[in-house]
Amino acid sequence: MSDSQLTFTLATLLGAVGVWLLLPRGTARGWAAGAVLVAIALGLGASRMLRLEDWVADGVFFILAGVTVVAAVATISFRDPVLCAIWFGLSLLGTAGLFLFAGAQFLAVATVVVYAGAILVTFLFVLMLARPKGRATWNRSSWEPVVSAATGIVMVGVLSMTISDVLALRGETGRPIVEAAETAGDRAEGVLADQHVALVGAELFGRNLVAVEVAGTLLLAALVGAAVIVARPRSEAQEPPAAD
Amino acid sequence: MDPEIALLHNYLIVGAVLFGIGMIGFFSRRNMIVMFLCAEMMLQGVSLSLVAFGRFHNDFGGQMLVIFIIAVAACEAAIALAVVLMLYRRAGKLDVIVWQALREDNQPAFEEEALPEEPPAEPWPSLSRAGLSPEILPEETDFRSRL
Repeated sequence: MSDSQLTFTLATLLGAVGVWLLLPRGTARGWAAGAVLVAIALGLGASRMLRLEDWVADGVFFILAGVTVVAAVATISFRDPVLCAIWFGLSLLGTAGLFLFAGAQFLAVATVVVYAGAILVTFLFVLMLARPKGRATWNRSSWEPVVSAATGIVMVGVLSMTISDVLALRGETGRPIVEAAETAGDRAEGVLADQHVALVGAELFGRNLVAVEVAGTLLLAALVGAAVIVARPRSEAQEPPAAD
Repeated sequence: MDPEIALLHNYLIVGAVLFGIGMIGFFSRRNMIVMFLCAEMMLQGVSLSLVAFGRFHNDFGGQMLVIFIIAVAACEAAIALAVVLMLYRRAGKLDVIVWQALREDNQPAFEEEALPEEPPAEPWPSLSRAGLSPEILPEETDFRSRL
């Protein structure tokens, strides 16, 4: 078992127990211990991250990734759905930052605009529907917290281990097996070009034009479907006059 | 180590973590709106991986797919909120256990365990009242029921 596999196995075990402790279980006991365990697991995972070109890039990446992941854990562990929605919004902002960091400027803006709008709507729904008098039991307990925490975290551990191993593999000549065919110069004229949005637009309305049309139709169908599902049946909306 | 490979590696792992956390939340949380948020979180994890792959291979395909993911997620939000609203009207609560009769035949039912009572949540802050209360004409109370 290699060094990185050992680290990821340890992080998986600690993370599974920590997430189980953090999930709502009807009691607030063990909350702090869960937070500490998850923090240790995230730290172990972070120690296996590969270094980017310089320390500035490293710092920006770790801050953005940390905000995203911590907010994601908070989303599934808070009892109050309003707080869950707010933490999810923070996680989305972190994701948008990661998009920007990877050079996907248009997607970063689109994520903030579209998702923040959608989240605002969700948030309003939560406020409108779920202001419980006292604390609702269904927010305070989970469905099979042990099994789901174990399943999810083990999946994350196995995936991380595989990704880490495959990308670090070296062939017989000592060169990494996975290598990009493109150079930095290619990227500077491609995905990292200054004319980013123009290139995205050309790609979207060039090669993907049919898909754009299909997506538009899908949005229309979803709109009609949502309206039909929510609309009250006519018999309910118009009460018939009571017969004498 | 090539920094591009390092970036791909880090993004793929963060994406996997987001996906896994969303999956845990979707499996275990009982509030339907929180489950919906967790499904969106899984989509975010996949989007991160796609953007990283697209950058690694210098191809806009990954970003295009993320744009379509956003469009489909918008459709999903509309339909999911409509269905949640509908279910809330029927059951009066957002608990997904209410609908467990829809499960597979061979699955055991969820057993609700008694939870200890908790003090009610602290109320959200609100603004104090200010100003004078308006004078209400007696005839207005005839046609305005909420005064």
